[in-house]
Amino acid sequence: MSSYIASIVSVIGINMILALSLNIISGFCGQVSLGHAAFYGIGAYTAAYLAKLGAPLPVTLLAGTIMAGAIGIVVGLTSLRVRHDFLAVTTMGIGFVFLGFVRKQKWLGGELGISGIPGPGLDPLVYAGLIVLFAAAVIVFSIWLKRSWMGFTFDAVADDEDAARTVGVNVSTYKLTAFGIGTALAGLAGGLYIYFARIILPDTFDFVQSIAILTMVVIGGTGSVWGVVAATIGLTLLPEVSRAAADYRLLIFGAMLMLVMRFSPGGLAGLAALVWRPKANS
Amino acid sequence: MLFVELIVKGLAYGCMYAMMAVGLTLVYGLLRILHIAHAGVFALGAYMVVTVANASGSLALGFAVAVVVSGLAGIAIYRLAYQPILHHAAFVPMVVSIGLFIVMQEGFRMIFGAYGIAFDNNPWYVANLGIAGINLTYVEIAMIVVAIVLVVGFGLFAGLTRAGIGWRATVTDPQMATSFGIDPVRVRYLNFLFGSALAGIAGGLVGLLNNYVEPTMGGAVSYKALAIIVLGGLGSVRGTLIASLTLGVVEAFGAVYLADVFDRDAIGFLFLIVVLMVRPQGLLGRK
Amino acid sequence: MTALARIDDLHISFGGVAAANGVSFTVEQGEFLAVIGPNGAGKTTALRMVAGILRPDSGRVFLDDRDVTSLPAHARVRLGLGFTHQIVRPFYSFTTIENVMLAAGHHQTGSPWRAIASRSRAAARKRAQEILERIGLADESEKSPRALPLGQRKRLEVARAIALDPKLLLLDEPLAGLSSVEAATMADLIRTLPGEGITVLLVEHNLGEVLRVADRLVVLDAGKVLAEGVPAEVMKRDDVRQAYTGVV
Repeated sequence: MSSYIASIVSVIGINMILALSLNIISGFCGQVSLGHAAFYGIGAYTAAYLAKLGAPLPVTLLAGTIMAGAIGIVVGLTSLRVRHDFLAVTTMGIGFVFLGFVRKQKWLGGELGISGIPGPGLDPLVYAGLIVLFAAAVIVFSIWLKRSWMGFTFDAVADDEDAARTVGVNVSTYKLTAFGIGTALAGLAGGLYIYFARIILPDTFDFVQSIAILTMVVIGGTGSVWGVVAATIGLTLLPEVSRAAADYRLLIFGAMLMLVMRFSPGGLAGLAALVWRPKANS
Repeated sequence: MLFVELIVKGLAYGCMYAMMAVGLTLVYGLLRILHIAHAGVFALGAYMVVTVANASGSLALGFAVAVVVSGLAGIAIYRLAYQPILHHAAFVPMVVSIGLFIVMQEGFRMIFGAYGIAFDNNPWYVANLGIAGINLTYVEIAMIVVAIVLVVGFGLFAGLTRAGIGWRATVTDPQMATSFGIDPVRVRYLNFLFGSALAGIAGGLVGLLNNYVEPTMGGAVSYKALAIIVLGGLGSVRGTLIASLTLGVVEAFGAVYLADVFDRDAIGFLFLIVVLMVRPQGLLGRK
Repeated sequence: MTALARIDDLHISFGGVAAANGVSFTVEQGEFLAVIGPNGAGKTTALRMVAGILRPDSGRVFLDDRDVTSLPAHARVRLGLGFTHQIVRPFYSFTTIENVMLAAGHHQTGSPWRAIASRSRAAARKRAQEILERIGLADESEKSPRALPLGQRKRLEVARAIALDPKLLLLDEPLAGLSSVEAATMADLIRTLPGEGITVLLVEHNLGEVLRVADRLVVLDAGKVLAEGVPAEVMKRDDVRQAYTGVV
């Protein structure tokens, strides 16, 4: 039972970091990304590769974070060059290029991925606690960011880039910052994942995973920290609640994406705002 | 001979991509939606062809049913999924499209099973035509012929007929077209009907080519078709056609020469990213 | 007087048509300079090149004797340039006061490091409140810009630019679309800015108001400077009258 709890808590924590990290890019800064799982994968592969070489946990986590963030900034460079609609397709493409690359690399295990990853050296429950600690730190960081002048500036960039330039905002720098922070945190999630899963497969980081992360953000309410946290917990627990929900997990995700966008594009957070402050928006 | 064979095979794939990408371009040009659910229509077409052909023994009937069902599915998608949310920012319809695509894919899995269906009788799959040392299967030839016929037909329609001119006017300037008495909603229906029917045919052909139809088959093709419409400059049919053929050929060569580094599906996107770095507006797009 | 900005021989053409064909003039410290000219004379184009929104094909722009020709718009803002768009561009997801606050907090947004380290918006709010009061938008501060009529949106655009504490403020047709009463109020408001150390470069169609408030005029015609000087004298010149009336 305790190992079951440890695994559920670990998955929730990892998903939370993933969803909040995408939320920084898409929710705060308004940049669409359909390839977020690639950065999760970059962090995981980097950490797994180093862990197999005998590197200790802090080193692998840090390396995964930095690697994902660095590549994320490079990808962010495309966001400076291309139009909004192009960015969706480009980031989707990054996901496929990443998968297509690792699948062909013998030194990364090819299709079979990397197995035999050493454990964290901690009791699973303690390790789950560590993941929760990281997730909590990411929540605090997200809230800080949202309320800081950076969050304010991100809002401006998301709203109207030209107007942001008018008030002296270096739009490129802020977009790259968002991509850098968001993808680095996804890399951290990847690093945390490997000690929990002990084996990584390329398909764990595919387009469907990117969509699953996006689903958590959209259903929670793009840009809302607590909405995304709530959605992550709900959607991660959903398959545990019933066998049917597990079998039709993707179907449910897809249907929820459609219904939420149709009836409450602000997600859970938007609904909550409607309930609590029905007249605020008039 | 490998060189020429790769080009021809690349063009065959390029033709198939074109059939997918034209539909996406039509939708994007008119509504500014990245119609990711087009992948679902593609797979729907493939399922129609394989189930009807297996049941009736007639491939022609299979394609006829596929055209009708895909076209109607396209109209239903516009009416039920997109029309109610057109006033939202581009992000909203895109997410709806992703959701719809997942629902369709999972729907196929539930109805037709997760393991896919093969054709009972697929003479084109094995038949080879050797011309001057180049081996092409009948399906590859069919892809080229069908694509040329349909795309040229569409070009004639758009250039010569009243409805076609109305369609072009609506894509260029919806408001102006409306003031000339063209019903923009009808043009949208027409767009989805035609684009989706094309995707259905492409799906059927790819089913024949692999002799296999599975729930996720639409994925890779339509993601590449999305890459193609971006390469083509989003919204330009001519750019889309050129980008389709280019990508088909690049992929054919890449699959041979980059086989150790990237798999086939990644090459198209790699090409896209490299092109966008150099020309952010796409191959033919204007700034 | 010393030159605050110097525009030196700007050329730009769009599709073979020259919109600026050797535009040169200087903006003196503390003055109220208006650029006028008939439709298509290249006024807005010239202003956009000064702002850094358009890159000239050739020619230079100097601000405080510093060559800023290669700097993008946001970097010029950091050097003391403010500008307003002809078609207003408020942040529609912000309230009116938030629009001004973001500009008032320009010290906080200069680098991401500083932006992520600073949280307090109190000083920016106070400054924004002052500006809104001065510009007559204090009652609208919590409203969405969508709820504001055009006249107020235009004032918001100016308020946001003032909040940047610019040395040189570029205004692109701030009176366009306003009623005559609104236009006069806006012109009076802009008139007060040089007194506070904000040099104004105004592009405007509304000749009546321009002649009433500007210190000096630059007349553009066909992408070139036709005349410059004190309004009363400039407007007496035959070539200026011809350019406007089209009578040769």
